[in-house]
Amino acid sequence: MILATMLYRASHLAIGVVGVAQRHRDQPVQYAGVVTAVGLSVLVYGTALRRGWFVRRQVWADVLVCGCLLPFALWAWGGAREPATLGWAMILGGSASAAAAVALDRVRVLAAVALLVATHAVGYQAVGASPAVVVGHLNSLLSSAVMAWVFWWYLRRQGRLLDDANARALSAEAHRARYAERLEHHRALHDTVLATLTTISSGGIDANAPEVRERCAREAAYLRRLVQQTSDELPHREIGTALEEVVRAAEGLRLKVTARYHALPQVPTEVATALAEAAGEALNNVRRHAGTGHAFLTATGGPPDGDDGGAGARVVVTVVDRGPGFDPERYAPGLGLRRSVHDRMAEVGGHAAVDTAPGEGVRVELRWPK
Amino acid sequence: MAEVITVAVVDDDRMLLDGMRSWLGGVADLRLTATAATVGELLGSSAAQDGAYVPADVVLLDLMLRDGSDPGGNIRRLARLGSRVLVISTVPDQARIVESLRAGADGYLTKDNELPALVTAIRDVAAGRGAHSPELAFAFAYDTTPGRPRLSPRERQVLLDYAAGMTLKAAARRAGITPNTAKDYLDRVKAKYLRAGRPAYTKLDLARRVSEDGLDGE
Repeated sequence: MILATMLYRASHLAIGVVGVAQRHRDQPVQYAGVVTAVGLSVLVYGTALRRGWFVRRQVWADVLVCGCLLPFALWAWGGAREPATLGWAMILGGSASAAAAVALDRVRVLAAVALLVATHAVGYQAVGASPAVVVGHLNSLLSSAVMAWVFWWYLRRQGRLLDDANARALSAEAHRARYAERLEHHRALHDTVLATLTTISSGGIDANAPEVRERCAREAAYLRRLVQQTSDELPHREIGTALEEVVRAAEGLRLKVTARYHALPQVPTEVATALAEAAGEALNNVRRHAGTGHAFLTATGGPPDGDDGGAGARVVVTVVDRGPGFDPERYAPGLGLRRSVHDRMAEVGGHAAVDTAPGEGVRVELRWPK
Repeated sequence: MAEVITVAVVDDDRMLLDGMRSWLGGVADLRLTATAATVGELLGSSAAQDGAYVPADVVLLDLMLRDGSDPGGNIRRLARLGSRVLVISTVPDQARIVESLRAGADGYLTKDNELPALVTAIRDVAAGRGAHSPELAFAFAYDTTPGRPRLSPRERQVLLDYAAGMTLKAAARRAGITPNTAKDYLDRVKAKYLRAGRPAYTKLDLARRVSEDGLDGE
């Protein structure tokens, strides 16, 4: 729309420049008029192009100066006494009204156009133009404004329709993603909780048997984490899913895992994978050495106070047991801890630390970044 | 073991109430005196039987009752009548846990804890020691509500390590303090929350609390 009104104005200016150059070579005021019109046009449209839209005050200045004052200035000092010499300045009013129609709100558009019509009627009266010329010119003033406004209204409407369509497509996409996620959960629930409940309710087995109770406890733990994760509503799908996989694998090997997550951030896939693998190895160590059959896995993003300092995503995962522990002075880190935990974390720019003492369990801390 | 601790359970899950009855039946120093689905039912039923409500030493209270009653109001009602309150729930809903402790609950446990952990917590609460649990420490450590109390760096470290599943003894060693001091830190954190829960005692405030607690002719 800026471009369209600008071209309209440019065509009017071209007429002005050619007209003045041909007929009024010896009249400085006519030249000054052209320079003023060109200067103001450059200001209005230059600013509009740079900022992406018109500045209202400049459009008003254009209407008042190019549209209203210029013809009178030419009449008063430029020696313009017949309609033909005033013509080039008068048609600038048409492009001024077109710009006003798209840049101003409705009441002000009417005011600007009315002002232009009135001054131009008076201006042509002053030079004694024939009624046909006057009516024709006023008609072009009005139709410039109306056409520009209709064109602009149509463009905006199309734009709105397009935006609406885009928004609908986006929300449909988000809906699909949520649906896929829910389906994933449903499938997991079907394979675990639902299968267990169905078996128990059919009455064929002893619900109090140790293995049935164990399985129920495991499934309950899964549901508990699921509820917590969905209530968190935080973008931690990747790392949450990766950790959840190793937790379930460990539970499958009869290790009770109390897993808690808080404010996990989005991290690169390879970091999520490394953290999960290292955590899985730490859980393996608990299963083999702690003798308690119970591990605590805690994964949190950043410091708990949230005083992040703008450092970006940070993750701390701890795997803790309450087993016999060991004396770190006398113990050479076994293959498991060294290769799978320390080296795996170092590969992605993270860090692992083991804290233990005889009789006090083991605490493995995985940190990213270092 | 001379003293017997009386216990009441408020939970709307019948199966859990039955399970609790058989669980606690095997513990010599605990006696289950009442079960109910709501706090109102608990207070009403014993009043009908004896003419007066005899508060149990410890009430196990489900965090989210199906009658939609406010956990804070429930806890204050029970505590005012002389019981200590141990809150239990299936899913650790952090915001509600913090709210409960602010309202004066003495401890919090998830329902998946094993019998010995539950019994220890009941004994601690009955003795006025206040029960600690990793799930409660976790809710405190990662509390992001605006009115949360300020914790010292030491209190925070012990809280975080305990929340991560370490024993109090191990958490104390890591912080370079004795287990007793570590326990003091956890007690202090809880006390700070209790204080933060009742910040002011203007007349207006009291009036609001009274209506909150359901005292004004419910």
